[in-house]
Amino acid sequence: MNAPMLELNGLRKAYRGKPALSGVDLTVRSNEILALLGPTGAGKSSTLLATAGLMETDRGSVHLGGRDVTGAEASSRDVSIVFEGFNLLPVLNVRDNIAFPLRSPRYREAEDEIAKRVGRTAELLRISHLLDRDTGTLSGGEKQRVSIARALVRRPMLYLLDEPLSALDLKLREGLRAELRAIHREHQSTMLYATHDYHGAIAIADRIAIINEGRVLQTGTIEEIYARPAEAFVGRLIGSPSMAFFDAVVKDNAVKVPGWAQSLPLSGFGGVNAKPGPVSLGIWPEDIRMTGDGNPGTIYAVDNRGYESAVQVNTTSGVFRKVLEDKRSFKQGDACHFRVMDGAGFLFDRTTGALLSHQGGAQ
Amino acid sequence: MSAARNKAIDHLGRWLLLGLLLIYTVYNLGPILWLMISSLKGRADLFAMPPTWIFTPDLTGYQSVFGVGAARESASSFGVFDSLVNSVIVSSVGTTLAVLLGTLAGYVCSRFDFRGKGDFLFFVLSTRMLPPVAVLVFYHIMFAKLGLADTRTGLVLISVFANVGLATWIMKGFFDSVPREVEQIAIVSGYSRLYAFRHLVLPMVKGGIAATAGFCFIFAWNEFAFSSILTTTQAKTLPVKISTASGATGIEWTQICAAGVVLIIPVLIFFYLIRKHLLMGMTFGVLGRS
Repeated sequence: MNAPMLELNGLRKAYRGKPALSGVDLTVRSNEILALLGPTGAGKSSTLLATAGLMETDRGSVHLGGRDVTGAEASSRDVSIVFEGFNLLPVLNVRDNIAFPLRSPRYREAEDEIAKRVGRTAELLRISHLLDRDTGTLSGGEKQRVSIARALVRRPMLYLLDEPLSALDLKLREGLRAELRAIHREHQSTMLYATHDYHGAIAIADRIAIINEGRVLQTGTIEEIYARPAEAFVGRLIGSPSMAFFDAVVKDNAVKVPGWAQSLPLSGFGGVNAKPGPVSLGIWPEDIRMTGDGNPGTIYAVDNRGYESAVQVNTTSGVFRKVLEDKRSFKQGDACHFRVMDGAGFLFDRTTGALLSHQGGAQ
Repeated sequence: MSAARNKAIDHLGRWLLLGLLLIYTVYNLGPILWLMISSLKGRADLFAMPPTWIFTPDLTGYQSVFGVGAARESASSFGVFDSLVNSVIVSSVGTTLAVLLGTLAGYVCSRFDFRGKGDFLFFVLSTRMLPPVAVLVFYHIMFAKLGLADTRTGLVLISVFANVGLATWIMKGFFDSVPREVEQIAIVSGYSRLYAFRHLVLPMVKGGIAATAGFCFIFAWNEFAFSSILTTTQAKTLPVKISTASGATGIEWTQICAAGVVLIIPVLIFFYLIRKHLLMGMTFGVLGRS
């Protein structure tokens, strides 16, 4: 395991009494891409701004490369940042935009070195032909390439990428993501990549941190998160489709869902920290099988994607969406049956969303 | 049949519109044309009834305004040229200072949160709501005690005071339209905020500065109430001088008309020079975001 490059401890920040960060703890290791995944307003941008030193925090500390930079000036922190929307400096042309960090009083380089680095970075992002253009004449994708080039032209300790690809269309996004990944592999850089896009996060990141309401709920590889989602919210954010939730009851050492034929033995849930009573049962859609018999449901919607199809199934105690493994055809309104695979599923507190099952022991 | 009628109605509407526009134009530009013609007429032509349309141009009005030629020595022209100089100095220095201060204050109000910011902005704006007449007497006494009465310095101070609030508000609007990321990128890249302000943000609000200067200049150039009370002889501005111009032979109409034309011209020139920025600035869009 690599040494931590960035450590955030208990970062708190409130804007006019409204909390933006409510104790963010996060570690980014050297040479990894960590995706900070969360919905809009979860505190992703604030976390990045606080890391860069562009936002003062009320409490907490920031360590960069082993050094406490909590109170340090933003210009001294040796990070690069790419924002989502506005990125280019309109008073400079493309070449000068990319060279901008290398001409600053702090990171100044000789002009021939700047020319070399700008040329190389532009080549890397395939924008060499744009170097002498005005920023106003570029397309959205070109602009974002230029702004990524401006971040990459320097070799800072940490790259902060705030939804760098969100404004782009799907094809461009996938292309640039792959390029970022390749550049990362080549240069062994450390990146903190904020996004609300689950697919984007798993495609680019080594590890994922789930953030919501100014708090990091869980950090780990996607496999680790799948194996043990720390909160119901994590299940809702992860997966495609995301986790299915059912209103269930713990009774007689089993988990029972009203209206289901299937009863799930409590022993299949690892160590369970739940008294008998109502719980929320979360199941990854991949662990649900559409079968000839079992728990009844109704096909609410069919989404035919050509190479595969997905269905939404309504039941009396919850709704789930899943991608079908076989070529069986369902029609909207059909009755259907499904079974949950043995040992699958997680139990969450209905009100707090905290994970109640898998408390140590078997996973 | 009906198509022909529609066409006729269309024609009628067109002519009606044209007529209305003509009336509007005459209403607006007529007095200015009258003023310009009158400024070139001698006393006899000026009062001729019916008005003469063909006459020998008489330049004494302009001569006295600019302090040249024979009219310079005449008693009636005393001080008109000086008041033009006063107006130019007071308006340009006042505008420059107001825009300078307003730009800095507008930037601070746009980018930083500080205690009482809302109150400060309201206070600054309220200086423009104040009817000058309400406080004239007190300014008169204050200026007399401070030795600022009848000085250009005093009028410059008044001009700055009256316009800095407006300048702050307009400039804040322009700075608000510049994304904060501009400075954030600069600071993370190792530059100071001051560098970002001077070299990145200011060029982006050039149009805004020009528009603000335009507004401030007009207000300063046309300012009448304070100048009329706070000046007596030395620092009289052109608008005040025009309103009080009378000589040994009664009211010098030719001179007044010439001064009126001179009063209009700087505003026209100024706006001609900044028209490009003004159009850009008036939209408050500043420029396309990148």
